[in-house]
Amino acid sequence: MVKIAFYGKGGIGKTTTVSNLSIALAQRGLRVLQVGCDPKADSTRLLRTGSEKTVDQDLDIASLVRRMREGGYLTVMDHIRSRKPFTAQEIVKTGAAGVLCAEAGGPLPGQGCAGRAVITALEKMDEIGVYDLFRPDVVLYDVLGDVVCGGFAMPMRRGYADHVFIVTSGESMSIYAAANIGLALQGFSGRGYARMSGIILNRREAADEENRVSALAKELGTQVVGRLSRSPLVLRAEEEGKCLLQAFPESEMAEEYRRLADVIAAMTVSE
Amino acid sequence: MRQVFRKIPVYTGDVSGVCSALYELGGMVVMHDPSGCNSTYNTHDEIRWYDQDSLIFISGLNEMEAIMGSDDDLIRDIVEAAGIYRPKFIAIANSPIPYVTGMDFEAISRLVEKETGIPTFYITTNGMHDYTCGAGLAFLHLADRFVKAPAEIPGSKTSEDREIPSADKKIPSADKGAGSGLRCNILGMTPLDFACRTTISSLHARLEQNGMEIISCWAMDDTLADIEKSASADVNLVLASSGFHAAHYMYDKYGIPFVAGIPAKGAENIYFDAVRKAVKRGENRFPFRERLFGFKMPLEEPEPEKPVVCLIGEPVIMTSLAASLQLQTGAVTHVYGATEDADIFLGEKDAPLSGEEELETALRKAAEEAAGGVKVVADPYYRDVLPPGCSLIPLPHLAFSGRIHLKDIPDLIHTDICKCL
Repeated sequence: MVKIAFYGKGGIGKTTTVSNLSIALAQRGLRVLQVGCDPKADSTRLLRTGSEKTVDQDLDIASLVRRMREGGYLTVMDHIRSRKPFTAQEIVKTGAAGVLCAEAGGPLPGQGCAGRAVITALEKMDEIGVYDLFRPDVVLYDVLGDVVCGGFAMPMRRGYADHVFIVTSGESMSIYAAANIGLALQGFSGRGYARMSGIILNRREAADEENRVSALAKELGTQVVGRLSRSPLVLRAEEEGKCLLQAFPESEMAEEYRRLADVIAAMTVSE
Repeated sequence: MRQVFRKIPVYTGDVSGVCSALYELGGMVVMHDPSGCNSTYNTHDEIRWYDQDSLIFISGLNEMEAIMGSDDDLIRDIVEAAGIYRPKFIAIANSPIPYVTGMDFEAISRLVEKETGIPTFYITTNGMHDYTCGAGLAFLHLADRFVKAPAEIPGSKTSEDREIPSADKKIPSADKGAGSGLRCNILGMTPLDFACRTTISSLHARLEQNGMEIISCWAMDDTLADIEKSASADVNLVLASSGFHAAHYMYDKYGIPFVAGIPAKGAENIYFDAVRKAVKRGENRFPFRERLFGFKMPLEEPEPEKPVVCLIGEPVIMTSLAASLQLQTGAVTHVYGATEDADIFLGEKDAPLSGEEELETALRKAAEEAAGGVKVVADPYYRDVLPPGCSLIPLPHLAFSGRIHLKDIPDLIHTDICKCL
């Protein structure tokens, strides 16, 4: 089993990238588990479309807000909050292309400590035997934004991810966040944490984007392992409540995700 | 109300258990905690504190360090202290605040070990568990990091060639040395459970009288060097629940069976018979869990005229004392295991202690059914929760009432519990 964590500035496209990578890897015959590490619990929402009611399939905003209030899929932290015993099967749902989906979840918005919730949720997943029961070949941790505290470093701690990939565009704020994550990882040397395995350029058509991200990779002592185009199809697929690989599997963008999945698999799974 | 204690205190915490378990072994214990003073962990509970040195440090965590993490400051301080004192090992224990902020002590331990070259391990306390858990984890780390494989111990027997008394080989009876030739480790020995200073010598004498050779004692009056040789033993004696994890570890890794109980006066024969059977069959024994001896099978109905004794406290010790009472007086005994995970050591007639109200209800029911009332063997603090019909036989426990009744804590090996009634 190989475990991979994805970090990057909030809103840069991590979840979209990770979800499409999950499908691509699953379509290559691998058993994939995607774990959302964000209290919003929205990492696997598109993957779970069709297998159950998801919170935001309604484009009608009033319905969306109402359904968010009611809650939908129960995360690990939702189960813990309920104070009732629960099993690995109750937190892992099978989504598109057979991808196994789990969400760490977290406290209610504006309350508690989201970072500590990530630690608790990931430890709980170990404790109730998620990895032993489902025996995934690949685990993808989709981590909220930056390494803002010890909690969000949890997925890169020993025993969790073996590899970290950073998703970034060439925009300054995204580069800044990526540099922060990369430096944090370097600061953890000697701790037995995950290793920095590369940067994924998710293009936003910023000026001199390619050179800026390549320069960042060089500074951090790593490489750009993949480049994703800015495609309107991604948004259209989301509007349909699907990942791009489901909605437009024949598109050039789908091929880009598949190529990236192959690169990452070659770097990690086949090690 | 369930799981609520209003009148009586809780048992001392996991962090104190760590300090107590490792106190005499020449290691350094670091509590990452704001206290800044040792009283919380040691002076209140630690009877060795004033006359025996031990390297126990409190980091003095402050508010800003909790907010900022400041792992490097903690590492620097530990490395500096280790450079001065050169301890045999470094144990880093967690406490409520860094537990909540989620500090990565595993990683910190690796860094400290790398910098100092001294074996360093992290004990996953958080201040919210009983001393039995903390001491148990500390002993488990000792087993994992320091116990050498039998092949590495000169003159030791491996699990394959360990001489196990066979059924057709005559085993001496208990009074002639039921454990003849058997080598043992004593696990779970801390002043928190055995505060009377003569207990350790009484235990040695009792074991030696029964022909047993003591390899190591975890961890009073012994050294890390002896603990390293523990895998050369034939059997582990779990004297208190804090020894359970280490015993289980050595059973899984080296095939050494364990016996849970103390060789209490009046129950020695059953105890040493269990030791012999554990070694002979290679299986773990809990000789005082069910306490069916003295009863006709199928189990007879309780007779109202029989004395009823309830014992409250650490479950391994209390089930052993219950057995002694039952064997010598014919009393009906019930044990309320008051520490975490007590149910491992309890039988059908016993129960884990889940709260004051539950205890009062159970004791009231027992008193109503027993013609002669119920005697309750427990720490004096329990007096406040005894219902009518129950009388207290005080048996102070350091891990519960601290030093208040220290002078009245008996030698649990030498004392005949029946004489306390």
